Amino acid sequence: MFPIAPLRAVVTVAVIVGVAAAIVAWRERPEPGATPLAVLLAGQAWWAVFLVFELQAETLAAKAFWYDVQWVGVVAIPVAWLVFALEYTGRDRLVTRKTVAALCVVPAVTVLLAASGDPYGLLLRDRWIESTAFGDFVGAAPGVWYYVTAGYTYLLGLFGTIPLLQLVRDEARAFKAQSAALIVGTLAPWTTNALHLVGVVPDALAGFDPTPLSFAVTGVAYLGALTRFRLLRTSPSAMPRARRYVFDQVHEAAVVIDNHGYVVDYNRDAEAALGLDPDDALGRPAAAVVPAYDRLPETDGDTERLTIEGTDGWRPYDVTVTPLSDSRSRQVGRVVTYHDVGAYLRQQQRLDVLDRVLRHNIRTETNLIHGYASVVGEDPEHAESAAVIQESASRILQLSERTRSIASMFSEEADPLDPTPTGPLLANATERLRDRYPDATIEVGPVPESTYVAASLDVVVEQLLTNAISHNDEPNPTAWVTTAVVDDWVHVAVADDGPGIDAEEWAVIDRGRESPLEHGSGLGLWLVKWGTDLAGGRMEMADRPGGDGAVVTVEVPMLPPPADEEESETGEDDRAGGDDESPESARPDRSDD
Amino acid sequence: MATQPNPPSPDRDGPTVTHRPSTTTLAAARARRFAAAFLEGPVFVALVAVVETLVATALLGVPLSPAPAVVGLVAFAVYATDHVADAEADAASTPERAAAARRHADLFTAAAALAYGLAVAVALFGGPLALAITLLPGVCWVCYASDWLPTVGDALPGVAERVPRLKDVLLVNSLVVAVAWATALTLLPLAFAAPAIEGPPNVAGLDPAVAPVAAVVFAYFLLRSFVDVEVPNVRDVRADREAGVATLPTALGVRRTRRTLYLVDGVVVALIAAAGAADLLAPVHVAALLVGVTVSLATTGLVGRVRERRLLGIAPECSYLVAAAALLLLG
Repeated sequence: MFPIAPLRAVVTVAVIVGVAAAIVAWRERPEPGATPLAVLLAGQAWWAVFLVFELQAETLAAKAFWYDVQWVGVVAIPVAWLVFALEYTGRDRLVTRKTVAALCVVPAVTVLLAASGDPYGLLLRDRWIESTAFGDFVGAAPGVWYYVTAGYTYLLGLFGTIPLLQLVRDEARAFKAQSAALIVGTLAPWTTNALHLVGVVPDALAGFDPTPLSFAVTGVAYLGALTRFRLLRTSPSAMPRARRYVFDQVHEAAVVIDNHGYVVDYNRDAEAALGLDPDDALGRPAAAVVPAYDRLPETDGDTERLTIEGTDGWRPYDVTVTPLSDSRSRQVGRVVTYHDVGAYLRQQQRLDVLDRVLRHNIRTETNLIHGYASVVGEDPEHAESAAVIQESASRILQLSERTRSIASMFSEEADPLDPTPTGPLLANATERLRDRYPDATIEVGPVPESTYVAASLDVVVEQLLTNAISHNDEPNPTAWVTTAVVDDWVHVAVADDGPGIDAEEWAVIDRGRESPLEHGSGLGLWLVKWGTDLAGGRMEMADRPGGDGAVVTVEVPMLPPPADEEESETGEDDRAGGDDESPESARPDRSDD
Repeated sequence: MATQPNPPSPDRDGPTVTHRPSTTTLAAARARRFAAAFLEGPVFVALVAVVETLVATALLGVPLSPAPAVVGLVAFAVYATDHVADAEADAASTPERAAAARRHADLFTAAAALAYGLAVAVALFGGPLALAITLLPGVCWVCYASDWLPTVGDALPGVAERVPRLKDVLLVNSLVVAVAWATALTLLPLAFAAPAIEGPPNVAGLDPAVAPVAAVVFAYFLLRSFVDVEVPNVRDVRADREAGVATLPTALGVRRTRRTLYLVDGVVVALIAAAGAADLLAPVHVAALLVGVTVSLATTGLVGRVRERRLLGIAPECSYLVAAAALLLLG
């Protein structure tokens, strides 16, 4: 039996929590890290259990036998610790049968030496019974291999702790708590053992290795981490792979360069688009392998458009250099990203050419047609035909204007999301329609004050009013514009007394695509849809209640006022009134109208 | 009366009075569920294990020791873990137990782990042999019910067929359980009676005179445990077939299983009688054990003849309680 009660109590606690934690960890298999953690805890329990038998035994031979048995647990702990740390932190690629077998070489030699009786004194040069305040233990003079094992143990322990230390600083509270508990549980026996090895222990512990006693702390910490902090159930092991996956899958070539100008990493897009060779690029000077390295933006964070020769020939890229900093805000490198803008530029060029054709060529031609039709129409015999030609020319001109509106909406020059006061926006659009259609009546209801919407709503309202009036057979068509605010959304409804919107026309818009057999008759409703989409809104169509015609309701989110508008209270009420002078900036790129 | 229907209350949502159970009915149902979960759960098994070890201690004639507590803790740990691991498969045969295991899975696991840790710590007082015996049921369970063996088999090169759990193999499943418990019940009281710590686990420290009695006690618990395992298998026959677990009832059918178990109990009776005749067991012990076997025979007679499925799970365990009570009364 144990002669000293405190020692019995501490070792008993160490065995209980060690075995319990090992079982709980083992039950979590096949979660990453579960098996090595179970082995680690079982190793600690093994060590503590056979320390008890060493203490209980009476002869040197018996004590030495149990002392040697403890080596199995002693040498299993560091290997299990490192494998656990690697698996738990997502570095499981390093945990292969070969690496585990290699890690087990030193432990295996140690156990073999102990099992064979250590004939050459490599592990222990001498043994004797050491009487201490806690009982009689085996006193030993370490041999060469003892120091090899001890050094190896501390080395693996250090390697395993490094990735866990990184997790202590992680943003996720669960991982902080888990890794902190693990480190506390691991440092306790190491610190105790280190103090024993260097002889810095209280006199009462002289001659006794108290490491197994500290396993009580380890067991409690690990058991707490398993049950309280969901260790092995909320695991960070997926994080490195997920980050690597995102880095590789992003549709931009990315190259990581360290502070000394060497390439340290790059993603798959960089390999494919820039032709980086995996065997050649890593670890080489960036100037030698990174395309256009000498032309990169000099200021971090800037973007430069560069034409670079890659695997697909010369292509334009927006190249951005982003600094990388460590947790202490010290720059540790840079990420250079290459965004292929070839397709974007070609689309932009097509839009520019189309805009020029619509703005200049078609307008010129329709003006000519219109002019010559007027001349022809002076002859009463051809007056009717000339009028038809003029109407047709006007429709062509109108179509080109709408197409230009679309091009303007998507141009870079105007931001369709600019917050614009709703009142002036509606007043502006209405005024233009009144000028264009003097016979029409447009009634605008009260507009909620101090509301801001995306600038693209201007084109939307104008187009809805144009549709309402131009497709109306009445000599004096009427349109109504009503506005309301519902739950931070601005609802703008445009109603008319016309024939209504053809269901097929609306179905095409609703479906979102056209085909040769199913298509609309113009661009108006598409303009409304795209403008609404840009504003982040949605639209609905219904029959006008109590009469002919339709009601199209556009719902767009209410935006916060621009910073300069917020600061200046003066004039805000006037702008929100809706009928007074409004800033030209409320309309995107309409200077040619 | 509380059980009479309440007057209708049309202005309230919820079931009408004809569907709403009274408070008394709910309490009774809850009590029945609790009783069922307790009797089929690991705490009851642990209590029976404690009683079995006390009976073994008396039969072996060794002083009272921590052995019953250790066996009880190990039984609790093993069966709590087993109930959690097999909760899904047990849902059809023991729904209350399976529901409790699912609902409190984490608690069961933590309690089982701490119980096993405590058992190991207490077993240290009995020396290496006591420690080895204490670990034996846990090791057997790992091979018996967990997926460890199939996982190891999958990882081994050259093993084409999937290695089954021992729980799925006919007779091996019952024998593994029987051997593990018979060993623990017989040897643990002996190990605590004479701790030998001067070397690896061995029985050299045990009194040679007790060996014949120990052999009888071991055989008694081995055969009785075999019956105890196979009787509930009749109840679980459908679930076992679906899960691919081979047991006597799934292989032989209920009637032939009953006859086989009669035969095993008959061997136990013969064993007790022979031990009594050879003065290995005292007459009091013989009588008490025979009372227990009588209960077992009665339970076996109910196999396939009663519809109360729960009875088949509990009755075999109760035979030990009856034997212990007889031992107390006669002794």
